[in-house]
Amino acid sequence: MSDVRGGMWALTWRRFRRSKLAVIALIYVGFVSALAMAAPFIAGSKSTPIPFGPNDVDVAHRLHPPDAQHRFGTDELGRDVLARMIHGARVSLTVGLLATIMALIVGCFFGAIAGYYGGVADWLVSRLIEVVLCFPLLFLALAIVAFFGPSIWTIMIALGLTTWTSEARYVRGEFLRIREMEFAYAARASGAKDSRIIFRHLLPNALAPVLVSASFGVAYAILTESALSFLGLGVPLPTATWGSILATAKQFIDYAWWLVVFPGVAIFLTVAAFNIIGDRFRDALDPRSE
Amino acid sequence: MLTYVVRRLLYGVLTFFGITIAIFLLVHSVPGDPITFYAGSHGPSSLSHAVLAEIRHAHHLDEPVLQQYGWWLRGILTFDFGTSFIDHRPVTQRIAERLPNTLILNVIAFLVAAAIGVPIGLWSAAQSGRPIERASAVTFFLLYSLPSFWVALLLMQLFAVRLNVLPLFGMTSDEYLDLGGMMKLADRARHLILPVITLAYAQLAIFARFSKSALTEVIRQDYITTARAKGATNSAVLWRHGFRNALIPLITLLGITLPYLISGSVIVEQIFQWDGIGRLYFEAILTRDYPTVLGLSVATAVATLMASLLADLLYIAADPRIRLEAR
Repeated sequence: MSDVRGGMWALTWRRFRRSKLAVIALIYVGFVSALAMAAPFIAGSKSTPIPFGPNDVDVAHRLHPPDAQHRFGTDELGRDVLARMIHGARVSLTVGLLATIMALIVGCFFGAIAGYYGGVADWLVSRLIEVVLCFPLLFLALAIVAFFGPSIWTIMIALGLTTWTSEARYVRGEFLRIREMEFAYAARASGAKDSRIIFRHLLPNALAPVLVSASFGVAYAILTESALSFLGLGVPLPTATWGSILATAKQFIDYAWWLVVFPGVAIFLTVAAFNIIGDRFRDALDPRSE
Repeated sequence: MLTYVVRRLLYGVLTFFGITIAIFLLVHSVPGDPITFYAGSHGPSSLSHAVLAEIRHAHHLDEPVLQQYGWWLRGILTFDFGTSFIDHRPVTQRIAERLPNTLILNVIAFLVAAAIGVPIGLWSAAQSGRPIERASAVTFFLLYSLPSFWVALLLMQLFAVRLNVLPLFGMTSDEYLDLGGMMKLADRARHLILPVITLAYAQLAIFARFSKSALTEVIRQDYITTARAKGATNSAVLWRHGFRNALIPLITLLGITLPYLISGSVIVEQIFQWDGIGRLYFEAILTRDYPTVLGLSVATAVATLMASLLADLLYIAADPRIRLEAR
């Protein structure tokens, strides 16, 4: 800990950067994000690098194995799998990100209240967390999505409402630790309102472990979104998602191996990347690691 | 210690009421009432308003929300989850029929995962600091990141389609009834292999990671340093002082893994067409069979609650240090 140039975040970044795997994961996430954002310009029409839109049906070329024209093959309607996967990245990343932001908001809110006020508030939040933890998450997510109608928004809300507990516990733990620190007393002594102390002084200092948990949260949300799409309760068709391509793959499992392999690898790598980033980020924050 | 147990049990009761309120509120906030949806599925205007009102009355749907909750709660406490909208049989009976299939699958997967995952986790913790430890940590992570439905599809494609050595899905073969005793057993076992692998691999990673961090935590303790300082050999330190203490936190996995198992059952049972409660739940969701959805939600959440209670109590029974702290 001799080198503390630039404060905690710079130190954390220097430690994080030391892991090759973490850097590769970060680059991969950047690459997929870029693909997702530029999807219409990469795969949209004749003039784009991949000359197919995600919903261009070509029944004459249905279920074609990968070749020079369709790099990842075609599905049961002759749609280009690569084009659908690039557009599917948008859904996966959007849901992953929005669901995690939702979980962060709910988790930070309850965690901050429990950690800052303690006592009855803490007790109530702890009981609430116990209740939520009793539910198998996929059960709850399936019910919410099915009953309220599948859309990117219900999936986001279903995931956000069921996964906030770990964020809440981290925020609570951090608040319990830092609310007794001098800067917190100073803020209180200078007459700041509770809301100002919580949001301006405590929360920014409690954020690091929460971001670790958020990184795992993105991985989990992407995994669950693709599971829901696979079960037919995800973002409604014909929107391309990685999970829905795999659902098609199941029907043609006898021979269409390309429908199984490519979207599966995409889900796996993306989920693994976010998990690795979370794990290495946690290590980098840990003062016990050298 | 007694006060701790009593307090934990009281919290359990509170959590139970929290669970029922949460499920009830969720279903209640769904737009449209179940009877209208149900009547609609039988074609428009197939039932008169008078009949609909009668059905609503029979299901207490015309009463205030609080009273409806009371009726429903009374049913749950007497193990009466109502009758299914689909086949009009008691929900309890439908769950009871499917439960053994889910249990067979999950118990075997749990045992396989524990039998492989725990030793691997303990072993890799004992390799602390060597490259093999870091490599195994990454492997657990990658295993954990594999989507189970994708693994299922890959297994199906490899073993059922390419190699054609295992059945694609189902619980028994078509000619199951004509088989002899031992062949019946073998047929069932063959159908179990792929679903068990699909359920077990992710759990295996959880077990391995959990037991690894448990042992790593133990090795940091002062009494391990003491044992080393006394000159005990490395293996003696690990076996006599390390492993035995590292196994205690594994008890809590009992409570933690159950919701994962149940979530996993939905996917695995759906893919392999395995007639367990996960598939029952999924079918009930698609057909909006509210009594079955409600019943299964309560049953699984309460099962998780009981498992975590049991784990907590076992934990303090197994570890005297906690008994002292909790007193």
